[in-house]
Amino acid sequence: MASIAFSSRRFTIPVQNVLRRSYATTSGSFVPPAAQQDVMHAPRRRILPNPESKTFYTGRAAFYDYVSSLELAIHHTRTKLKQLHLTPLPEFALKSLPPLVPVWKSKNDLSTSLSTKLSAARHRRLIELLNQLNDFRRIAQTAGHADLGLGLTNILEVFERDDKEEHLRRGIRKPVVLDQYGRSYTLGKRKTSSARVWMISSQHAVESKIQAGATPSPPTTEIIVNNKPLSSYFPMPADRERILFPFKITGLLGAYNVFSITRGGGTSGQSGAVAHGIAKGLAAHVPDVALILRRAKLLRRDPRMVERKKTGLAKARKAYAWVKR
Amino acid sequence: MSTATNIPRNAPLQTPQDWSEMQYDRGVQKIFMDRFEKFGSTQTRENAWQPHHSLHRPPPPGQLTLSALVASGAHFGHSPSLLNPNFIPYAYGTRAGVTIIDLDQTLPLLRRAANLTRAVAARGGTVVFLGSRPDIRGAVKKAAERMGDRQSYYVGEKWLPGTLTNRLHLFGPRILNRTRVIPDLMIILNPLQNMPAIRECAIEHIPTIGIIDSNVDPRIIMYPIPANDESTRTAELVSGVLSIAGREGVELWKQEETRRLLERNSNETKRNERRRREAEEENYQIGHDGGSKL
Repeated sequence: MASIAFSSRRFTIPVQNVLRRSYATTSGSFVPPAAQQDVMHAPRRRILPNPESKTFYTGRAAFYDYVSSLELAIHHTRTKLKQLHLTPLPEFALKSLPPLVPVWKSKNDLSTSLSTKLSAARHRRLIELLNQLNDFRRIAQTAGHADLGLGLTNILEVFERDDKEEHLRRGIRKPVVLDQYGRSYTLGKRKTSSARVWMISSQHAVESKIQAGATPSPPTTEIIVNNKPLSSYFPMPADRERILFPFKITGLLGAYNVFSITRGGGTSGQSGAVAHGIAKGLAAHVPDVALILRRAKLLRRDPRMVERKKTGLAKARKAYAWVKR
Repeated sequence: MSTATNIPRNAPLQTPQDWSEMQYDRGVQKIFMDRFEKFGSTQTRENAWQPHHSLHRPPPPGQLTLSALVASGAHFGHSPSLLNPNFIPYAYGTRAGVTIIDLDQTLPLLRRAANLTRAVAARGGTVVFLGSRPDIRGAVKKAAERMGDRQSYYVGEKWLPGTLTNRLHLFGPRILNRTRVIPDLMIILNPLQNMPAIRECAIEHIPTIGIIDSNVDPRIIMYPIPANDESTRTAELVSGVLSIAGREGVELWKQEETRRLLERNSNETKRNERRRREAEEENYQIGHDGGSKL
């Protein structure tokens, strides 16, 4: 049952020029409109124009104007794509599209750019429309229609992050380049140790030795760490194994010479750091082995660090002897 | 139809050329279909009814029929247990557990509402279409756009309570000094969900048109249209009919404006002519008399 509950509270009006109410008692005697047809009325004091925006009465005209323009853009783009037979796409064509990576501004940044306060629901609505347009842009660009793609980019760049390229590049490692002599320079870390590792093809060393006049011999991997050969710096076989493991699983033992400077930590930390640097260097010299190294978790910086001691415990995990009383 | 015979038809597309070939194939298929569509059934996409016609091709008020109302499902009310006693005059009866609304009364009331909309627009008045459900959002937007530039508005979202009664706070004194905020007519497609809007219209003395269902008291709306408020097609039909009438009214207003402008211009030229002639006469008389007549 619907019923209006009119408020019984007296409606108080502030004394403002902008709010002027006319009551039946103030306007004088009532003259029916039919009797006023031939009477010339004095013009009203203020003839104000009507509101401009069609969404004026929503209270958030700016936002809903943006929404309606985006919806119009989506409508026109869909029509155009239909004419070009690009919508709706069959399954195999959808699979051929590159992945969609939208990089929109954050809610606060969008609020500032559009000069309207965005609530969570309104922000979500805007992002849905933008994602739809972004999808159309992807289809247009992949199918080779650059002009349509450019038009859509012009619409969408207002809503995209300013540092879009940088944001997409984050998390992607800077590629390691070989210098003029064919050396790779990489960094390896383990626990608190760090190792700077230079690697060069051992063929180069063999050829330089032949030029110097030595007898030819098959290429071997020579490893120098902190100006000492491997056997001298790492007496423990476990450390040496750790350093040679990247060569062994890629089958590149004997292909590269290694020079490294390590600082910090102890033996196992430094050997782990050198191994990390070697793995990265091998991936730089021979990109095909990167998959093998990644599967063996050699390209990953081992995140295990010494755990801190906690209050109430003797060490990180060791508890004091339990006492009954 | 792919030019390379060893690549399967549904292979993933890699180059822009693959894409162009796919588009070309689809274009050829379309031409093929278009050519042979003429043979066989005479019912084509152009002359068959499509679901979007209820939104984009509403009937004008003069051509509105009872069958159009029935087809849009306007006669379905709510359960008889929810029937509002004040709605009984508009109810035809009960069937299949729902109240059936008497469309013989709906039709003239809808045409009356259309005449009102036309009259308001023909005197330069502003009309606001309000429909807060997501499925009728498109209908109110389309209706407002149909009526032209500065005389129609729409609200497709929740009506903010206080839009009219608390307008000083919502819009600010700057806008209130420059714009005419109070509209002249409000058309509400789902009044039960917009009681604050109806209350504000009553406070600000704005006439309302609304779709009244069987569980609603018709007295809350000034010009009720008893119909199904839950049907999208009914809402599209009603908003379409009213907006077409409004568009006619806007046309009349524009003609009136141009006529008034021409009249003012011609009055002005007549006035200027008269002044010039009077000045000439004076000069002539001064010249003959040797003194001012005044």
